Amino acid sequence: MALRLVTKNLSSRISPKLCSASLLHSHATSFGFKEVREEEKSQMVGKVFSNVASNYDLMNDFMSGGLHRLWKDRLVSKLSPFPGMKHLDVAGGTGDVAFRILESVNSIKRRALQDPLNDDLQEETRIYVCDINPNMLDVGKNRALEKGLGEDKSLVWVQGDAEALSFEDNSMDGYTIAFGIRNVTHIEKVLSEAYRVLKRGGRFLCLELSHVDIPVFKELYDFYSFSVIPRLGEIVAGDRESYQYLVESIRRFPPQEKFASMIADAGFQKVEYENLVGGVVAIHSGLKI
Amino acid sequence: MVRLSKWLLKEAGTGVNKTLSDILVCPLSKQALRVCEEPPSLISDSIGVSFPIKDGIPCLVPTDGKILDTDDTMKHDNAADDSANNK
Repeated sequence: MALRLVTKNLSSRISPKLCSASLLHSHATSFGFKEVREEEKSQMVGKVFSNVASNYDLMNDFMSGGLHRLWKDRLVSKLSPFPGMKHLDVAGGTGDVAFRILESVNSIKRRALQDPLNDDLQEETRIYVCDINPNMLDVGKNRALEKGLGEDKSLVWVQGDAEALSFEDNSMDGYTIAFGIRNVTHIEKVLSEAYRVLKRGGRFLCLELSHVDIPVFKELYDFYSFSVIPRLGEIVAGDRESYQYLVESIRRFPPQEKFASMIADAGFQKVEYENLVGGVVAIHSGLKI
Repeated sequence: MVRLSKWLLKEAGTGVNKTLSDILVCPLSKQALRVCEEPPSLISDSIGVSFPIKDGIPCLVPTDGKILDTDDTMKHDNAADDSANNK
């Protein structure tokens, strides 16, 4: 796993305005490799996730060979959750990241058993799960019920748009978005909303499929993406097209360095990223100071 | 017995919705939201839009908002004035 530090200065060295604007425009009008009208993208992505919601978790296991679980574990460990925290998980529909954060906070409570202060803090913990797609949220709510977390008031499910969050400024200790930012229409709006809702000292963490540069491995990964994944989607979920969109959208998303500079542009400091599995996924992080 | 449990469920729902309106703000104006019991929704008075609550999940996607016609907003304004006067 390679750790790279990107400073804010980097973005000013590359001619920022021109290539940023065209990159953002091309993201807003791309649906995988297809060109679409900006207004349409959100609806088309919505259709994909309504279709995949019921098989989402199963397909994640299949496509990543179960590795997505480890990636999410790594994401949450970087967050360092604490009792009493207010956390926002965006595009968190089926609850994977939220449940992990809750379990991490609860395990801290168990370790500090007879601490009355801790008990009060524990009551204050809030994990907000925000997703634009109601089908994904339904799956998440049902999973919470199955895990016995149905009545847990720490979990709050909200349907909302990452580009226009319904939370107050400076209200969140942490913000995560796992495998979601690739699907939004306007990346920069999502990043600026993330900056807005975080408290000073709050942490932004993004787990996303990214770009592989390692020779040979890159070719193998491309073959896997374009030949195996859509076929798997067809067999397991009966939906080849949605998974074709998935692999194409990964290629269209900005590479690690570029995305890091976008995060810095939104105002975040100490922007870093960590590649996992040679860049198949990357965890980007930033701090609001 | 049935009426009691229905009332309890409604009260519980009201409690949850009130908590939601304490935390959440209008996604467009970022101003406070007001709870409406029937139909369950969150009202953004600042822009005159109501957002539905479905199965306990508030739907605050901007395009899901319903613009309140002036009659509705006036009725709510009067109700708010009345309760302010009564205080």
